[in-house]
Amino acid sequence: MIGVTSLLAKVTRYAVSLLVVVVLTFALPRAMPGDPVMNIIGDDVWVSPAMLDAIRADIGLDRPVAEQFASHLWSLLNFDLGYSYHLNAPVADLLVARMGWTLLFAGVAIVAGAAIGILAGALAGWRPETAKSRAATLAALAVSCTPPYFLALLFLSLFAFRLGLFPFKGLYDVATPGSIAHHLFLPVLVLTLFAAARNTLIMRGSVVQEKESLYALYARAKGLSDRAVLFGHVLKNASLPIITQIALDFGFIFSGALFVEIVFSLNGLGTLIYDAVLGRDYPLLQGAFLLIAVMVICANLAADIVYLLVDPRIRRQEQ
Amino acid sequence: MTSPNRWGIGLLVVFVVLALFPQALAPYGPKERSMPYLDPSADHLLGTDDIGNDILTELIYSARISLFVGFASASIATAIGLSIGLAAGYCRGAVDEVLMGATDVVLIIPKIPLIIVLAAFLRPGVGLLIMVLGLLGWESIARVVRAKTLQVRETGFVMSARCMGFSPFRIMGSEILPNIMHVVAPKFMLATAAAMISEASLSFLGLGDPTMKSWGMMISFAFLEGGFIREMWWWYLPPGICITLCVIVVAAIGFSFEVEGTEARIE
Repeated sequence: MIGVTSLLAKVTRYAVSLLVVVVLTFALPRAMPGDPVMNIIGDDVWVSPAMLDAIRADIGLDRPVAEQFASHLWSLLNFDLGYSYHLNAPVADLLVARMGWTLLFAGVAIVAGAAIGILAGALAGWRPETAKSRAATLAALAVSCTPPYFLALLFLSLFAFRLGLFPFKGLYDVATPGSIAHHLFLPVLVLTLFAAARNTLIMRGSVVQEKESLYALYARAKGLSDRAVLFGHVLKNASLPIITQIALDFGFIFSGALFVEIVFSLNGLGTLIYDAVLGRDYPLLQGAFLLIAVMVICANLAADIVYLLVDPRIRRQEQ
Repeated sequence: MTSPNRWGIGLLVVFVVLALFPQALAPYGPKERSMPYLDPSADHLLGTDDIGNDILTELIYSARISLFVGFASASIATAIGLSIGLAAGYCRGAVDEVLMGATDVVLIIPKIPLIIVLAAFLRPGVGLLIMVLGLLGWESIARVVRAKTLQVRETGFVMSARCMGFSPFRIMGSEILPNIMHVVAPKFMLATAAAMISEASLSFLGLGDPTMKSWGMMISFAFLEGGFIREMWWWYLPPGICITLCVIVVAAIGFSFEVEGTEARIE
């Protein structure tokens, strides 16, 4: 493989990021004010004194920190993210049961948002002075400046409450694809708009730069139509920054998805985290943070590999 | 200055005035109460909420926290990003590797989930929000500052300052810094916009300061206390519009700084 060295450097950084996240989840309950055991199991929960002693012995707060960290790491490697005393279930099970829905609708939104954003941004950047381009840019700016949950609330009150076009809560009435699509339409729409707005702005800037380059001038000089220059030549180069951006945005869109879920009462990761915040269920919050961090890092790694595959210039540089 | 920019600055001034002198503009005091769930009327232009507070008064008083959190945490983020970017760009070599490596490491950690975890452990408060948002928002500033510093450090006036034996701190502070401010200013505004959105999001989750209302918290209360079920749009719409408008204005001013910066460079 060519380009392996730069990929390796990136992988090292991702590994360090992961380590930082793991150290955070280890250190936070121990360093925060209050009894570390209560910090580890969560506030506002009743546990019998005997149980508390058992937990205390199990965590081993009297052992050296290195030993504690090693056992923390070992349990993480075994997919043991701790136990939620609020919901009486292992955190890993709770998260896995809920993350499917979140990934489904965030995934659809990310893909659709990328497609719409690339197209709208390309057209807006190609002729930035036209009224249509200005309107598209302004709309994208407005959407990306709105807190995601507020946009979700607006759509909910307008389309579900006022117009009654869509159900206002839940994933489905009966578990058929039609019912699920009907319930998920608004949340996916909100999140797609959000992703599309961010991509539009970046794509627009990228096209504005790329269209001034010599190869675009040459393409025009050889008599290609505007459309052929944009879609045949400029689009390819201009979409490169989008790949990195989508990966970096993954965490952002995913966080947005959590808020959209709360507004639409979807039984995904977002509502789980919301309940954990309200109940101070620390193990669940930490597990969710770790899970999301791992997903974001994986998304970035995937983007780097894709980038390497689609851009021959990077491969050639390293030869 | 372009015309949208003039509009933007005008609006921002309005918001800042609201934040600085709420008592002069609000129709009621922050603690005055009347009947709950009133419809908009001449007495209460935006009605009242679930415990009888005048919503317009709340809206005006909330401007302070939203703006303060935004600008304060952006200041912290800019200070950190500026120091790291300057050091990395000026020293280059190993220092650059380490600092930019650290920047990449921080960049990838998902911010909102981390802030949720931190804010849940520590008791909510304005100071905490500012610290956390500031400490986690500096990476893009550091990158831009580093890139610009790498350019500026090769210019003649920096060279001559070095030949005259000025200390690196003096060179970074009074030779390089003034010449990179035009890239820092737009980033500062964008960091403010991002911090305001984060503040609104965290307040919506109930992780804001419960003793001081912000726009995000108003929406959160409207959501939890029946403002949506009762379709009281005069309750939840104004704070949302205020956040969005304020963020757009701040971001637009940032963008126009950016454009002016590039134009100045071309000239």
